[in-house]
Amino acid sequence: MRRIRFAFCLIFAFGFALLAASSALAQGNDYLVYVGTYTGFRYVHHSMTYGVGESHSKGIYVSRFHADTGELGEPQLAAEMINPSFLTISPNHRYLYAVSEDPLSLGPPLDHASYVSAFAIDSSTGKLRLLNTVPTSGTSTCFISMDKTGKFVLMANFGSGSVSVVRVREDGSLGELASFIQDVGHSVNQFIQTEPHTHSILVSPDNRYAIVSDLGTDKVLIFHFDANTGMLSPPGPPSVSVYPGGGPRHFAFDPAGKFGYQLSEMSGVVDVFAWDPLKGSLTNVQRAQTMPHDFFGINHSGEIEVHPSGKFLYESNRRTPNDTDWGLDTIGVFAIDPMKGTLTLVQASPTGGIMPRSFTVDPSGKYLLAANQISNNVVVYAIDGATGQLSKTGKEIMVDVPVCLKFVPVSH
Amino acid sequence: MKNIRNFALLAILAALSVPLAWSSPATADEYFVYFGTYTGFTFMNEGLPAGGSRSKGIYVSRFKPATGELSKPELAAEIVNPAYLAVHPNQRFLYVATEDPLSLGPDFDHASYLSAFSIDQTTGKLRLLNTLPTGGTSTCYLSIDKTGHYAMMANFGRSSVTVIRINDDGSLGQQTAFMKHIGHGRDASFQDKAHPHSIDVSPDNRYAVVSDLGVDKVFIYKFDAATGKLSPDNPPFVEAEPGGGPRHFVFDAAGKFGYSLHEMSGFVTVMAWDAASGTFTKVQDANTLAPDFIGSNDSAEIAIHPNGKFLYESNRRFRGPDLWGPDSIGVFAIDPVKGTLTEVEQVPPQGTMPRQFAIDPTGGYLFAENELTGNVVLFRIDGSTGRLSPTKTELKIDVPVCIVFVPAHQ
Repeated sequence: MRRIRFAFCLIFAFGFALLAASSALAQGNDYLVYVGTYTGFRYVHHSMTYGVGESHSKGIYVSRFHADTGELGEPQLAAEMINPSFLTISPNHRYLYAVSEDPLSLGPPLDHASYVSAFAIDSSTGKLRLLNTVPTSGTSTCFISMDKTGKFVLMANFGSGSVSVVRVREDGSLGELASFIQDVGHSVNQFIQTEPHTHSILVSPDNRYAIVSDLGTDKVLIFHFDANTGMLSPPGPPSVSVYPGGGPRHFAFDPAGKFGYQLSEMSGVVDVFAWDPLKGSLTNVQRAQTMPHDFFGINHSGEIEVHPSGKFLYESNRRTPNDTDWGLDTIGVFAIDPMKGTLTLVQASPTGGIMPRSFTVDPSGKYLLAANQISNNVVVYAIDGATGQLSKTGKEIMVDVPVCLKFVPVSH
Repeated sequence: MKNIRNFALLAILAALSVPLAWSSPATADEYFVYFGTYTGFTFMNEGLPAGGSRSKGIYVSRFKPATGELSKPELAAEIVNPAYLAVHPNQRFLYVATEDPLSLGPDFDHASYLSAFSIDQTTGKLRLLNTLPTGGTSTCYLSIDKTGHYAMMANFGRSSVTVIRINDDGSLGQQTAFMKHIGHGRDASFQDKAHPHSIDVSPDNRYAVVSDLGVDKVFIYKFDAATGKLSPDNPPFVEAEPGGGPRHFVFDAAGKFGYSLHEMSGFVTVMAWDAASGTFTKVQDANTLAPDFIGSNDSAEIAIHPNGKFLYESNRRFRGPDLWGPDSIGVFAIDPVKGTLTEVEQVPPQGTMPRQFAIDPTGGYLFAENELTGNVVLFRIDGSTGRLSPTKTELKIDVPVCIVFVPAHQ
């Protein structure tokens, strides 16, 4: 639920959220699509970085997307910025927030000094105007989301294994650090799990909890979130663990706020949880494997998202038979059982490129845009509204090292 | 271009306004003396005394330098683990770094916060303005830049230094800098990762010096007082002796020399400071330990007398489990030309574990804080020799670990 599609009404007496069908602002069928990229690192020097060092990208790009036809316009530079690797949009669609990793910072890869910048969106041209930039309080910040009130941005700092919350002022600019939590621990994978590596943070549909996926400790942490102060309060409800070595990366709630889906990067497993918004607890109901039984090679699952209809789940897998070959990448399509929340595989679709680190479903639910980090393209797939299946549209744009996609409705 | 010119103008104005606005703390007839303490850790399990603390927060006493009178401490603000204090140059605000006693995680990796207080200059009481996370864990040091616009912190636990803007009303605003240190040192028990232990701006406010106990380096950052940003200097650090453990740092009053105290080795490294280029040149490694000392040393605090002639540093020592001492406060004469140190004496601090001490702004007295014995002992300073002689004045405060002075209004 990285995109804010729903207006929320907190009913405090019962403590659950009532979901409106669709935001009033999202009625048009034209959207701006912002593309976050890597612009390059000077000191990156091992195999984790792929083609990142050779990027020609200059920052955040924007394209126009027509949700009636699936047309995706030529990308324009919306804002010059180094390594805008993850983006989020304010609930009022007026501001964009981007995290960036300093390409010159001292230290090993995946431990880069990181910053968050606030931009005002010009909704007619799509251009971004920088408001201000502050440190994220962590290194190699890899994820940013907003709370439902739009008063706070929440960030996961992969390198240093922490999460931080920064207040957003009335004018959209960034204020003080409101909360900072350092995770501790490790897990079984000697390469990437010797330390905590928080990979995502997002608030629950009722804005009362924050869910943190920690790839380094194999844990999904749940914190109380105070929307007045921005404070995350540990110890929160009990955390849940995934299968050792799994590497929790991204998390998604279903639109009704009944289920949570945790994608683990290394195992390729989606853990399905029943979400209890009163207790703030996750109960595992299924461990769905996205990899075929006969898959042999290396997997890094990337992104997970639930279709706006709540009927389908999509997740991307970056797969290689070995260190240097490419081309087994997929976007997995799953049907969601409406009662139990469980998943059944519908399709393992190609992605139209290499390394689909990110993708997103357009707010109208008719198209999926896949961002392929190595092949430098964003590819439009049509979604079958009855089955959820993806089919090629032949439409794509070229953007260097695209790694994040966010929609903003164009007001008419 | 216009912005750049405005910035330059602002920078010049800021630089000019420093000496005008905040001269070094003027001597006063009476001072408030604030004591930072540890109030305890729920999960503390290393046998450190902090667990048994009955302290409730920050305490304040009145001190008259003319007579050496020191009043009984009163609670100035209730707060958990106010381990480090710093006073705003305008003397109206007090800043406190605290460690969360309930935070998850191992020792020395506690969630940490920075609180701003306004000082009631008649009663000495503190009124909380606001509290923010420091951006690091087990924050162990705090200082304010010369303009009073930024609070700077060393976050021991997870190896970072952070800078937070101070609003005009004294409250805390946005974070302006975050620097992560990486690496390790020779000592497996304390140097498995970087541990920044102090951060102080240079006398001209253009650089910040960071002691890193974990990697045996003293880092130099360029500090931009207009934005609060830190950026690595060239060269970015000075290396200390392996296993030495740089802990605290002090410039001399003239800004010609820097003195780096190393916790484990007990060395004071004397360095000539080139303020124009922001570089240090090593002049002397002065060992504060006697040649025949056998045991374990943890040097702690370092300070220069207001007259610039003497340097003081404290040493916590033990010879085995629960065998504390002999602790000492070392007194050194400073060569006015070369900056080098000559030992004058080593004085017992009249208690155990002198983690902190401070010299009052008039230079007449030294306050020794003994963490383990929970006492603060007043020493008279001989202004011509630097020598310390204990007075009969002593306060009982549980786990005292920091001390600052603020002139009292009468």
